Amino acid sequence: MTGIFTFEQVVCGYGDTMVVRGMGGKVAPGRVLGVLGRNGVGKTTLMRALAGFLPLSDGRVTWRGQDLAGVEPHRRLALGIAYAPQENVVFGELSVADNLWLHLPDRGRERYAQAFSAFPLLAQRLGQRAGSLSGGERKMLSFARTLGLTSALTLLDEPTEGVQPENIDRMAHLIRARCAAGASFIVVEQNLAFVEAIADEVLVLDHGEVVAQGALSILGREAIEVHLVV
Amino acid sequence: MASFRAAEAPVALALALAVLPFATNDFVAYQVALYLVYGIATQGVALCWGRLGFLPLGHALFFGLGAYRFGGTLKAGQSDAGWCLLLPLAIVIPAMLAYAVARLVFARSLKSGPYFSLITLAMTMLGSLAAQQWSEITGGFNGMGNIPELPGTDRYTTLYWVIAVCAVATTAGLTLLFTRPLGVLWSAVAQNEDRLQLFGYATDRIKAGAYALSAMLAALAGALFSVHQGIVTPQALGFVLSTEFVIWAAVGGKRSALGALLGAVLVGYASAELRDRFATWEVFVGLMFIAVVRFLPDGVAGLARRRLLPPGGQAPSTAPAATASTEPVRLAFEGVRSSCAGVKILDGLDLSLQGPGIRSVIGPNGAGKTSAFNVMTGRLPLVGGRILLDGFDIGGMSAWRVARRGVGRKLQIPSVFPALTVQQNLQIALWAGRLHHVMAVRSAPHRWHSALLDELLRDFPDLERQREVEAGQLSQGQRQALEFVMTVLPEPRLVLLDEPCAGLSPAETHHMIGMIKVAVDRIGAAALLIEHDISAVAALGGEVIVLHQGRRLAQGSLVQMQADPAVRAVYAGGHK
Amino acid sequence: MDGALLHGLNIAYALATLALTTLGLAVVFGLLGVMNMAHGEFVMIGAYAVVTVQQWGLPIASAFPLAIAVCAALGYGVERWLIRPLYHRPFDTLLATWALAMLLRKLVEAVYGKGYRNVESSLGSPMQFAGIQYPLYRLALIGLAGALLVGLFFWYRRSAAGLRVRAMTGNPVLAQALGINTQRLASQAFVVGVVMAGTAGVLLAPLVRIEPGIGVDYLLNAFFVLVVGGLGTLGGLAGGVGVIGGTQAVISSVAGQTSGYAVVLVLSIVFLWLKPDGLFSRR
Repeated sequence: MTGIFTFEQVVCGYGDTMVVRGMGGKVAPGRVLGVLGRNGVGKTTLMRALAGFLPLSDGRVTWRGQDLAGVEPHRRLALGIAYAPQENVVFGELSVADNLWLHLPDRGRERYAQAFSAFPLLAQRLGQRAGSLSGGERKMLSFARTLGLTSALTLLDEPTEGVQPENIDRMAHLIRARCAAGASFIVVEQNLAFVEAIADEVLVLDHGEVVAQGALSILGREAIEVHLVV
Repeated sequence: MASFRAAEAPVALALALAVLPFATNDFVAYQVALYLVYGIATQGVALCWGRLGFLPLGHALFFGLGAYRFGGTLKAGQSDAGWCLLLPLAIVIPAMLAYAVARLVFARSLKSGPYFSLITLAMTMLGSLAAQQWSEITGGFNGMGNIPELPGTDRYTTLYWVIAVCAVATTAGLTLLFTRPLGVLWSAVAQNEDRLQLFGYATDRIKAGAYALSAMLAALAGALFSVHQGIVTPQALGFVLSTEFVIWAAVGGKRSALGALLGAVLVGYASAELRDRFATWEVFVGLMFIAVVRFLPDGVAGLARRRLLPPGGQAPSTAPAATASTEPVRLAFEGVRSSCAGVKILDGLDLSLQGPGIRSVIGPNGAGKTSAFNVMTGRLPLVGGRILLDGFDIGGMSAWRVARRGVGRKLQIPSVFPALTVQQNLQIALWAGRLHHVMAVRSAPHRWHSALLDELLRDFPDLERQREVEAGQLSQGQRQALEFVMTVLPEPRLVLLDEPCAGLSPAETHHMIGMIKVAVDRIGAAALLIEHDISAVAALGGEVIVLHQGRRLAQGSLVQMQADPAVRAVYAGGHK
Repeated sequence: MDGALLHGLNIAYALATLALTTLGLAVVFGLLGVMNMAHGEFVMIGAYAVVTVQQWGLPIASAFPLAIAVCAALGYGVERWLIRPLYHRPFDTLLATWALAMLLRKLVEAVYGKGYRNVESSLGSPMQFAGIQYPLYRLALIGLAGALLVGLFFWYRRSAAGLRVRAMTGNPVLAQALGINTQRLASQAFVVGVVMAGTAGVLLAPLVRIEPGIGVDYLLNAFFVLVVGGLGTLGGLAGGVGVIGGTQAVISSVAGQTSGYAVVLVLSIVFLWLKPDGLFSRR
């Protein structure tokens, strides 16, 4: 079951410092919204708020018409929202296999068939402790697990950080394949090329606010890059 | 909020105690004296818990040690008066034991607090076990009896005056200390020990010293107890009495010396009268304890909501000059590696700078910028490589030692002492490195100022205006400003600034950058500044160092960095 | 030969009781990170459950459901109203649970009085076997402690519930993102921990003197075991029990109980000072 995800005038932060100051956006089924910006601009803070881990000081987040205020994070998966955080992306003490299946009722492998063919190393290292994987390998594990949830909406925070270019391409393929099946994504990234490959619309952030927004094709690379580079 | 001078409480107490035997009778005075004695020990607990923020759960150990030693020495003194020379040891030895244990436990980690409480509890258990078993010395389960009177006093009449004088003295002494620089530092330890260490204060020693003082109070109380009761049993060492000290401090008010004393007298006396009449009295006390812990952290004294004023009136004086070296400062990172929980955070970082001036440090997430600061100030372990400051290897040194070598650090999240006023915050920074032992208990340092402080406050009029406001009430921008001023006040040679403009409006950012340039130039320091805001970096001028994945990627002017293809790639994504 | 066997059995018994009474705190403190200063009082409550059922004329075994019910109810309330609001403030948790410990002691005193109680039972009396006299009940306890440790090892490492607990303690945010209700899981784990403590109290009641103040000893010994052995792993629990229990038993038999306790205390201080994560910590 798909649905529309919206957030409007979201204000949130830590203590009395508001990091996100009035951001808004929308994702329809089968679409990908890319969120771009240098670090420190509030991308991860926004994602935490959308995933329910940070209370909103103002604004609204809705999913399929339902206001998500007060819905605790652990209940959102059942509603169809999956979240992959930016850091601490795996359970370091558990094996790769446990990371992939601990939250599922059975250990069937069909769920991860596509992921295993794209990232064979995961299938090879099922018994290995996840904490001993490299940063990029952990991101791949997190990506495989999150996509394996086949949720209607998936929130990804910097999924390609530390990942090799050829695997980044495969990630892009898998995301587009899920979109074709009707799933939607919000993806935070600093990697412009990756966002260009997957996103339909983008939000560009700076200083806690949205400074550019719209369809990628219309905005153009130049307009976006100016907010990203040094 | 009313405020009062340090002398009011002890004077009121002295008057009340002086009148008591005449208003009631000798027997009541005798009883009250016992609880005054307990109250002195309770003041020791209140000192550690209410002021410094760590909780001794086994304080009766020192009470009992003082009691047994004093009583035993007096008994021995009956046959050979020479023993009486050793009487002060009864109070000094517990203090030394306390200092040793506290130094060991606190030196290791900032988070030792709960473990410390358990250790004190275990020590008191050991004490009462020993007291029961070594019956030749202690009289075993039945206790050490037949303790003679304190020479020159009679237990049931004149001893009261000795005890009353002691109680007034301890109350006066503690209340006075709270107003001195040492007292301010004690409060600072409880509020933000991390920040205090970054100013060069050896907080484990401060805590150990306070614990020794509190042990001395408990031992003094124990000594008085032994002559008051004439007998000391293992109960005087046990955890039950230790818990009662904590309850009396909690109910009476752990932040106030007088409150703690009165807590013991009132609650203790009431308990003694009521516990035999009502079986549930003790349960009631237990419930009261939980309620106070949950809802009334400052006890009954806290309800009065008064704040101590430091002694005022005299003219301000200039702080002693900070020791300065004429050589230009040198910092070098050589192949520095650091990791945490198996993740490589710094992977062979090489960096060097020499001489004054501001250098900006930039880089994407996880580049290791804050981690480079952390590994310098002892927050991250140094796994490989070296860090040299002025040619001296500072790798692995604890935070306060590094600070004493002339390093100042401003943290990523503005970190001040929230329950102290702006003025007190500034003073703590001003005292850093300048406050030598005895000065910590004199009142003069309260009136120190320095030319640098005056200049900085001129440019931050908000802070000047709000000197008496508690730092926790300041806005984000004001707290950034306060922490910045505090960081440069000790006039460090190397200043580490971590996102000083985070959360500031563009106008505030502009102002802050201007102040940073002026201040760093004024103290002739070298500065490393982490920032995400590129316009701020541009306004600073100076060299820019780009970090990436735990290593230095490039270095040069901002224009050069903006043109460098490797830097552009890292920021816009793509090749890694 | 007989002397050595007896000696060995006594040491094994000391280790077994230490393991049984530490288990609850290993869950609550070792896994959840909650410094429950009332841990020993739950053991004490378990022991008093046996006293109570005897007073009512019921068989000793009926103390189990009573102790479990009381500890579970108490544990649930404590977690909800005392622990949960203070989750990331270890110092406040310590203080609040110490206050709770005191309250529980006073309550039991008010109801049962301060004096020592003994459970009327023949379980503690020695029986003849293998050429020596030794209480069979103690042997059973030794066996039970061993079996429990082994069983727990497999449960923790292999079972689905154990997996979820390990996930939650390692990475609570990710656990929630995967649909695990960490708050409820933590509450359940806490209740399990205090019920284990109460059950240990029931098991030990026929063999010890019971009075309201026995909790503190169990608390401190459990704490020593966890500090030395390391938090969060069964290997740590076993290692800690071995080191602390073994040291205490050996020193006590040579130099007396006080010295045994003193050595254990010094050992714990040294560990806290030099190796605060213990021998086999999760990290």
